[in-house]
Amino acid sequence: MNTSESTARPADIDEVVDWLIERVAEYREIPAADVDPEVPLAELGLDSVYVLSLCGDVEDHYGLVVEPTVAWDHPTIDALAKHLHAELTGGAS
Amino acid sequence: MNPAATDHATNAAADNVTDTAADAATDTVSTPADAAEDLERRLGPVDPADAHVRDLADEREEFPQADVDALDGIGLARHYVPVEHGGLLRDYPSTAAMIRAVAGRDLTMAIAHGKTFLGAVSVWVAGSGEQAARVAGLVSAGVPVSWGLTERGHGSDLVAGEVTAYPDGDRVRLDGEKWLINNATRGGLVTVLARSDPAGGPRGFDLYLVDRRTAGDSYRPLPKVRTLGIRGADISGFTLDGVLLDPDADRVGAPGSGLETVMRSLQLTRTLCATLSLGAADHGLAEAAHFAADRRLYGRPLLDLPAAGRTLAECYADHLLHEAFATLATRAIHTLPGELGILAPAVKYLVPVGTEQLLARLRRLLGARAWLRDVRGTEVSPGVGVFQKIERDHRIVSLFDGNTVVNLNSLVSQFPLLGRAHRRPRPAEAGLYRAADLGAPLPPADPSRLRLMPTRGAGLLHDLPAAAAQLAELAAENGRLTPIAESARSLAERTGELLEDVAEQPIVPPDVPAHAFDLARRLTWALAGAAAVRLWLDSHSHVSRTALGPESLWTDGRWLHAALDRVHTRLVAGHRPTADEERALEETYAALTGELLRQTAGHRFPSLLHTRRAEAL
Ligand SMILES: Cc1cc2nc3c(=O)[nH]c(=O)nc-3n(C[C@H](O)[C@H](O)[C@H](O)COP(=O)(O)OP(=O)(O)OC[C@H]3O[C@@H](n4cnc5c(N)ncnc54)[C@H](O)[C@@H]3O)c2cc1C
Repeated sequence: MNTSESTARPADIDEVVDWLIERVAEYREIPAADVDPEVPLAELGLDSVYVLSLCGDVEDHYGLVVEPTVAWDHPTIDALAKHLHAELTGGAS
Repeated sequence: MNPAATDHATNAAADNVTDTAADAATDTVSTPADAAEDLERRLGPVDPADAHVRDLADEREEFPQADVDALDGIGLARHYVPVEHGGLLRDYPSTAAMIRAVAGRDLTMAIAHGKTFLGAVSVWVAGSGEQAARVAGLVSAGVPVSWGLTERGHGSDLVAGEVTAYPDGDRVRLDGEKWLINNATRGGLVTVLARSDPAGGPRGFDLYLVDRRTAGDSYRPLPKVRTLGIRGADISGFTLDGVLLDPDADRVGAPGSGLETVMRSLQLTRTLCATLSLGAADHGLAEAAHFAADRRLYGRPLLDLPAAGRTLAECYADHLLHEAFATLATRAIHTLPGELGILAPAVKYLVPVGTEQLLARLRRLLGARAWLRDVRGTEVSPGVGVFQKIERDHRIVSLFDGNTVVNLNSLVSQFPLLGRAHRRPRPAEAGLYRAADLGAPLPPADPSRLRLMPTRGAGLLHDLPAAAAQLAELAAENGRLTPIAESARSLAERTGELLEDVAEQPIVPPDVPAHAFDLARRLTWALAGAAAVRLWLDSHSHVSRTALGPESLWTDGRWLHAALDRVHTRLVAGHRPTADEERALEETYAALTGELLRQTAGHRFPSLLHTRRAEAL
């Protein structure tokens, strides 16, 4: 697939948070407003296996190849966004 | 208390192992068939008297010690240890071929011995160099290693496990019970999955190496469990009562990595489990082929009755399809490790379940003979006595190391990725074509490249339309390929529709609807069909040139023709070929029957590739 179309650079962490909220809302088919970024993803209905799928979205959208277990190590949207943002901007997480 | 097996291994078997190492260094085992023939040669022809002894031991539920000693005597366990750790496991297909040959003799023997690979694999996947050296030494010396995942209260749901590993001073203390564990009583070493965080979760488990020699009485084996099949196997369990371990030296992988390591390891073991089914089917098909050729009914061989002949041919076609799928997946361990997350559960579902179905059909073909238990008592005809044992023993394969539902569920959990990948397909990776090309050398396996999720979906599925087009091009030059190209085109179309359905599935773990399981089931058949197409396309010229396999199967895509027919019957309820298709299929199935009889009579494995049994060597 076309990489220029599929990679995006987030301006700040909030942008990554919003993007992740949309993904989870889409997966669970629930309104984005119901997705709390501070709650563990498992409690949002993404169990330990499904949550691994998020790495595919990250790769597609940001062009960033991450270990699927990234969502196990950063189990809330806030934590995951912080980590991804750092990876994308070259900072330490 | 030293387990007897450990004593035995360190004394008696050690000499044999040294001999074998020397032998192996001079042998240049180049293909999986060579590896299997090498093992056959060392084990020698099957003695009918052994089968009788085995049957009686099975009846008494005795551990097949003599069989296992024979395997230790030829140093088979060294093929469970990767070369980088001093063993002989250079390529997974060769080790798989050896286990298949053992399984073709007796499944109890294969499972009792092969389980050590499962016990040790986590260390190859995530252990330190020191741990690998330690475990490699024990495995090579013939010490059985077992794998403790399951608990009485928790089967498939590993994150519910209650065995704990909590800090105790500068040690870690293990407590709890594992149950339904193979070789738990005989084993000298056990890898144990234990909860390290009371809250659990995917990072709340660690994997520990428990050595019986140091654990002493704090490791207590549970009584043997009586089972339907593999009756002699040591199926028991153990309690850990304050086993104290070194949190660093005995923990496999980083803290919290236990579940991840198990999931990676399962990608290897689930792929390799298929070889147990292939071995069972090798055995069952040979019995059935002998019977159908010898048994006379209405003045002719049973085989000449059209329905009986077709049943046998279709079972053989199923077997070849299983072999093709398992072969590609096993090679993918080396060439396409990132996609094993989808291939392994698909193979572990399809091959054992497909083999159960083919054994059930062969059982009906054998009739009363498959119902009798005496192996030698009545000496009526082939299949008598043995067949019921093959079928009974094989039932375990679809159950352990992730049962049927678990494997389908694992595929369901990948639906979001597969759906997305289908809508934005990328070119398949070179590793796919290398996996399908039996002439291509395999790069060393690197377990660190196994990924828990195949982010880009399954290359096999995305490649299918192109593969079908490639077959159509070949068919333009060779008309005999036309029905096969047509069948592949229809497979590509059906797979496309299936992936559309897959992409529409809502995510509702763990309340997966029955419909999603059916989609996953069909997905495995689509994958197997795609694997068969790819394997034939990329290997047929090499196989013909080097005479690796029977011409009668590989010429004009014959085995592929039958294999795809078998796939369509699983993809579409009530699938029936058109009259034209049926005419072409009839010819193909007749050619397959001929080859099955040739292979059986010539003491070869029923296989896509020439592999001789000891009797022919
Ligand atoms: C002979 C033998 C040897 C074994 N050796 C070992 C060993 O060496 N090491 C080890 O750790 N374990 C071993 N096991 C255990 C074996 O791996 C488990 O028993 C098996 O994985 C599945 O668990 P279960 O069938 O006990 O139970 P469960 O997981 O409780 O499943 C019960 C049933 O529930 C249904 N089910 C499960 N999940 C779902 C789902 N998601 N959706 C819908 N339905 C579902 C299925 O029909 C399933 O059969 C062995 C078992 C046997 C019989």
